[in-house]
Amino acid sequence: MPCEHYKDALTEAAATGAALQGELRTHLASCASCRAALEQEQFLFTAIDSGLHTAANAEVPPSLLPLVRAALDEVAVKHPPRWLQSLVFASASVVLALMVFLVARSHHGAPENVVRQGPVFAPTAITPGTNANPGQISAAASETASIGANHPHAVRDSTLFHPVASSNPQVLVPADEHEALARFVATLSQRSDVATAFLAQTPGKKVPLVSPDLLQIADIEIKPLEGGEAEASHSVGEKR
Amino acid sequence: MQELVLIQPGSAARSEWVRKAAQADARREFEERLAECGPLAYRVARGVLRNAADAEDVAQEALLRAYRGFDRLRDRSRFRAWLVRIAFRLALDRLRSAKRREQRDTLWSQPAHLPPPATAEDIAVSNQFQEHLERALDELPEKLRLVLLLSAMEGYTIEEIAEMVGVPTGTVKSRIFIARKKLAEKLRCHANTIKMP
Repeated sequence: MPCEHYKDALTEAAATGAALQGELRTHLASCASCRAALEQEQFLFTAIDSGLHTAANAEVPPSLLPLVRAALDEVAVKHPPRWLQSLVFASASVVLALMVFLVARSHHGAPENVVRQGPVFAPTAITPGTNANPGQISAAASETASIGANHPHAVRDSTLFHPVASSNPQVLVPADEHEALARFVATLSQRSDVATAFLAQTPGKKVPLVSPDLLQIADIEIKPLEGGEAEASHSVGEKR
Repeated sequence: MQELVLIQPGSAARSEWVRKAAQADARREFEERLAECGPLAYRVARGVLRNAADAEDVAQEALLRAYRGFDRLRDRSRFRAWLVRIAFRLALDRLRSAKRREQRDTLWSQPAHLPPPATAEDIAVSNQFQEHLERALDELPEKLRLVLLLSAMEGYTIEEIAEMVGVPTGTVKSRIFIARKKLAEKLRCHANTIKMP
């Protein structure tokens, strides 16, 4: 049995592995049981460290990384969380926009401003060849357009779906023509020669400017209305 | 009345392209870390679970979770610390659910207390003292256990462990010291079963 007074100091010395100093060192030189106790403690800590090393440095199975890579491929194909979040966000935005519109409409009883004219093109330019994947354009354009087509007030609310800050060209088209436009844009993206030919002026041929004729108005003849005096005297007599 | 629609041809395709490019970048960056951090995640899980198959499952799950959240990790240098915590947490969860299952089974069938299922490899490397040690490790508080496991792993300095756990180096040292003393207290009575190589 080690001396009670040095018991903790012996454990501490064995745990830290530091060199013995001062009083403990002097005591150990003269006390055989404390020396034996210290040896036993050192042996115990060595065993603990060795066991920990075994437990903490287990051999990694070679199948781990290939399995993880395969699982990562699946995640990359599915990519559900972000996609789902975007979908939920977009749906919530549409519902919110619709609610704002309905509330605004109930407050303003005035008749709606409807577009009476034909299609109006926004002052934007079609830039062929800027898209990386033209095959997706028509589908994407149709998808975007279908949101507006199903909405009864697509013209007024269109800015809710398409932020003004966007750098992409925006085109205002009749609802039944948006698919044709999407196909047209896809064609332009695939064939730059068509786009160039479409945008280029024909050499030697000038497009005439539209100059509307002035309205011709004939001279106006001013005449007094027939029977005007008789009606006036009759009304005066009734008053009397 | 003619209905008009405002469309933006090409915007969806471009955003899809940007998304795919970002995803490819994240994948490449993640792959660079996988070779070093994959084994680390496995060893952390193995240290907690003491079972090779369960540890492999947990390491896979931890790495997948880390990948899913990789683009949200602003400071990529913290990846290793983040992964270690995910793996440790998942391993603890699995250990607890296994213990609950074991207790439930014991209540129903009243068998003798059995150790968790071990593979041939597990049995081969273990001896009696090792078994006692690993049981004693299970009983350590989580903070002490993680630090002790990381300190026993090859190749990590005290500074690296401090970074992984998110505490100062002094705290790491004191936790290691306390954890070893606690283990010694628990194992002193089993010192006669020590079989040194």
